Amino acid sequence: MMISRFRRRCRQAVMVSVGVIAAFSTAQAETDRLTAVSWGGAYTRSQILGFVRDFERSSGIDVEMIDYVGGIDEIRSQVRSYNVKWDVVDLELFDAIRACDEGLLVEIDPASLPTAPDGTPASEDFVEGALMPCGVGNVAAATVVAYSSSRLDQGPETLEDFFDLGKFPGRRGLRRTPMSNLEWALIADGVEPSRVYEILDTDDGLDRAFRSLDRIKQQIEWWELGEEAIRLLETDAVVMTSAYNGRVESAAARGEPFAIVWDHHVRFKDVWAVPRHSENEAAALAFLRFATSTRSLANQAQYIAYGPLRKSSLRLLDRDVLKRLPTAEENLELGFATDAQWWGENLPAIQRRFDRWVERSIQVPRELPGR
Amino acid sequence: MVVLLAGFLGGSLAMAGSSDESSELTRADVERLAAEVARMRERLDEMEALRERVGQLEQALEEARRDLESRQLAAPQKRDVSASGDAAEAGNTSSDEDESDGIDFKGALRFTAFWSDSNDAVKGTRGDSGLDLFRVGAEGSIDDLLLSAEYRFYPFMDAIHHGWIGYEFDNEDQIQLGITRVPFGLLPYASHSFWFGVPYYLGFSDDYDLGVKYIHRDGPTNLQFAFFKNAELAGASDLGRYSYDILSAGDYRNEESNQVNVRAAHTFGFETSCSHEVGVSGQWGELYNFDTRRRGDHWAAAAHLDTRCGRWNLQLQGTRFEINPEQPTAIGDDIVRVGGFETSYDMATEGTLAVANVAYNVPIDSEYIDQIICYNDYSVLFKDRSDFRKSQLNTTGCLVGRGPVFLYLDLIQANNMVFFGDGSLAGQGEDDWKTRFNVNLGYYW
Repeated sequence: MMISRFRRRCRQAVMVSVGVIAAFSTAQAETDRLTAVSWGGAYTRSQILGFVRDFERSSGIDVEMIDYVGGIDEIRSQVRSYNVKWDVVDLELFDAIRACDEGLLVEIDPASLPTAPDGTPASEDFVEGALMPCGVGNVAAATVVAYSSSRLDQGPETLEDFFDLGKFPGRRGLRRTPMSNLEWALIADGVEPSRVYEILDTDDGLDRAFRSLDRIKQQIEWWELGEEAIRLLETDAVVMTSAYNGRVESAAARGEPFAIVWDHHVRFKDVWAVPRHSENEAAALAFLRFATSTRSLANQAQYIAYGPLRKSSLRLLDRDVLKRLPTAEENLELGFATDAQWWGENLPAIQRRFDRWVERSIQVPRELPGR
Repeated sequence: MVVLLAGFLGGSLAMAGSSDESSELTRADVERLAAEVARMRERLDEMEALRERVGQLEQALEEARRDLESRQLAAPQKRDVSASGDAAEAGNTSSDEDESDGIDFKGALRFTAFWSDSNDAVKGTRGDSGLDLFRVGAEGSIDDLLLSAEYRFYPFMDAIHHGWIGYEFDNEDQIQLGITRVPFGLLPYASHSFWFGVPYYLGFSDDYDLGVKYIHRDGPTNLQFAFFKNAELAGASDLGRYSYDILSAGDYRNEESNQVNVRAAHTFGFETSCSHEVGVSGQWGELYNFDTRRRGDHWAAAAHLDTRCGRWNLQLQGTRFEINPEQPTAIGDDIVRVGGFETSYDMATEGTLAVANVAYNVPIDSEYIDQIICYNDYSVLFKDRSDFRKSQLNTTGCLVGRGPVFLYLDLIQANNMVFFGDGSLAGQGEDDWKTRFNVNLGYYW
C-alpha cells in the first residue's frame, strides 16, 4: 500500500513536471519576441492600438515596432546575409513587388489567411490588387496636398496651386522620392492623370516631369518619414506640403488647423510581408494573419483615416469614419491610383536621376565656391 | 504564470485520468479535485479580467505618450543659421544654406594655370601654372554663439581672409565682431568669375575690415549696419592682405579709419521661382594722412539689382565714390594708393562704377559632372577727371563642379586694368584690350 502510494506520488510529480516543461518548451520554440517594421508616427500608433496589443495579448509574443523610411535595401541586406532582424515589414506595394521578384520575401498562400466573419474566403474578401504572392494588403492611403489654415487665409484648392509659386509664395514640402512627385509634376504641366505613366515611360516625358519640378525646386523642403511632413506644417517651415492623408487627419484631430486638398491625390496600398530566412517566420506569419484579419483592419481605421483593404472590414465602420477615407466615394473620383507595377520596374533607374536632380541647384547659387 | 498553471492543470488532469489507478480514488478526492479546478477557473477569470484592465491602461498610456510626443514635435524648432554670415548677409536665401550646431573645419587646395598676352615670359612658355593657395578655416555655431574664420597661404604671402565671432538673437538678427565682410552692394560678390570685377580691385567688393556688424533679417528685407575701426590689418603699410584697401605706399601715405556702412535690401518675389533683390548701400569713413597728419574722408553709394529667375541670374550695380585725402599739396588729391596681395597701385579718387553680370545654371544630368554655371561679367570704372581713361574688365567663363572639385575656366579681357600690361585704375594706362585665359582647379573640404 505504502509502495503503491509512493509510486502514485512519483507518477503525479513526473506528470506535473512533464506538463510544465512541455508548455514552457512550446512557448520557447515559437519565440516570445517579434520585430515589426513600419512607418512611425500616427501610422504606427494606429497599428499598435488597432491590433498589435491584441496580438501580443492573445499570442504571448512581444512585438517591437521599428520605424523606417521605405525601400528594400535593408531587407535585401538582411536576407542575403541570413541575418534577418526584421521579422515582418509594412511595405509599399511597389517595394513588395520588387522584393518579391528578387526572392526576398516569403510566399503567402491566400488560403492561409483568415476568412471574413461570414465565411467568405480571404481571396474574395480583399479588394482587387490587395493580395500578391509575397504580401497581404492592409490599407489604402493617399498622398495629398496639406496646408495650415493658420498660415494661409485662402488655401490652395488644386494641385496646380502647389506648383504656382507666384500665387502661393513660400516653401513646399515633398517626400524625397520620385514617386507621386513626377506624376504631380506632369499633371501640373497639363497632362491628364490617365496618361501620366504612358508619358513618363518616354525620355521626353521624364524630362518634362523634371522640368516641371524645376519650377518649385528652389523652394522644396524634403521629408522622408511621414511624420516629418506634419512637423514641417506644425513649425511653419513650409506653406504647404505633400503628406499622407491619415497623418494630416490625425494631426487635425488633436487640434492642428490643417486642411487637405484632395485634388489629384495619389492613392497607394501598403502590404505586410515577411522577409525570408527569419528565425521567427512562423510567428511572423501568425502576426501577418492577425494583422490582416477583418477585425484588425477595421480597428486600425478607427485610429487613422486609411481604407482597410478587406470589404468585410469596411462593413464594420461607421459612416463618419468611412467618409474620411481615401476610398470614400466623394474622395475617390478626385484622385488616381499609383501604378505600383510601373514603379516596381522603373524606380531604380529613375531614383538615380532623381537623387542627382535633388542635389543640384536650379538657381545660380549666391555663393560660388573657390574665391 | 499561465505556463505554470497549464502545467499544474496538465498534471492534475493526468492524475485524474490515469485509468489503472482511478479505482483507488475516493469520491471525496474527486470532489476535492473538482473544487480545486473551480477555484483555479475563478482565479483564471480574475486574471483575465486583470489582464484586460492592464491592456486598457497600457492603451491609455500609449495614447498619452503619443499625444505628448506630438505636442513636443509641434513645438516650434529654432532655425539653424549659417555661421559664415553669408546666408545672413545675402539675406533672402533658401534654407539650403542653413547649417546645424557645431564647428566645421574647412579648407581648400587650389592650382592655377594661365596664359596672358600682356606677359612676354608667359607667352614664351605658352602659359604658366602653379600652386594658387592652401587655406584652412573654421565655421559654425555653439548655441547662439557664432564663429567664422579663414586663413590663406599663397606662394608669395599668407594672410587672414576673415575672422569673427558673433551672436544670434532670438529673432535671427546677428551681430559679428572681428574681421568681417563690408556690407556694400551686391553680396556676397559682385561677380561670378574667379577673377572678380573692377569693384573688387578698388575695395568696393569682397572687402574685409575690422569692426562690428549688425544684420537684421525680416523675410524679404535685409538690413545691415556696420562700423569699422580700420582695415583688417593695423599696419597701413602692410601689403600682405587679402582685400584691397587704401593704404600707405610710396608717396600716398593714408590709412582708412572709422568707417560706417549701411545697406538695405528688399527682395520682390520672395520665395518664388523669380526673385528680384533691390538694394542701396552707403559708406563713409575717415582717411588719415601720415604726412599732413590730417584727416580726410571718403564716401561711396551704390544701388543694385540681383535677379534670379529660374536658371538665370542678372546682377546690376551702379556705384558712385569720392575720396578726399588730405595729402601734401605737391601730391594732390586726384590719386590714392590701394593695395593687397603684396602689391599696390594707383586709384582715381573720384569716379563711377558700373557692373552688369549675367549667369546661367546649365541643366545637366550627368553622373560625372554635378554643375556647370556659365557667365559673363562686365564692369567699368569711369573716372571723373577727363584725362583719366576709363578701365574695363569683361570675363566670360564657366564653373564646372564635380563633388568637392571645382574648375573655373575664364577668358578675361581687360582694358586699362591693373595686372594687364600697363593698365591703370588711375591716370596713366593704355587704351588696349588685353587677354588672359585663366584656369583654376580647386579641391574644397
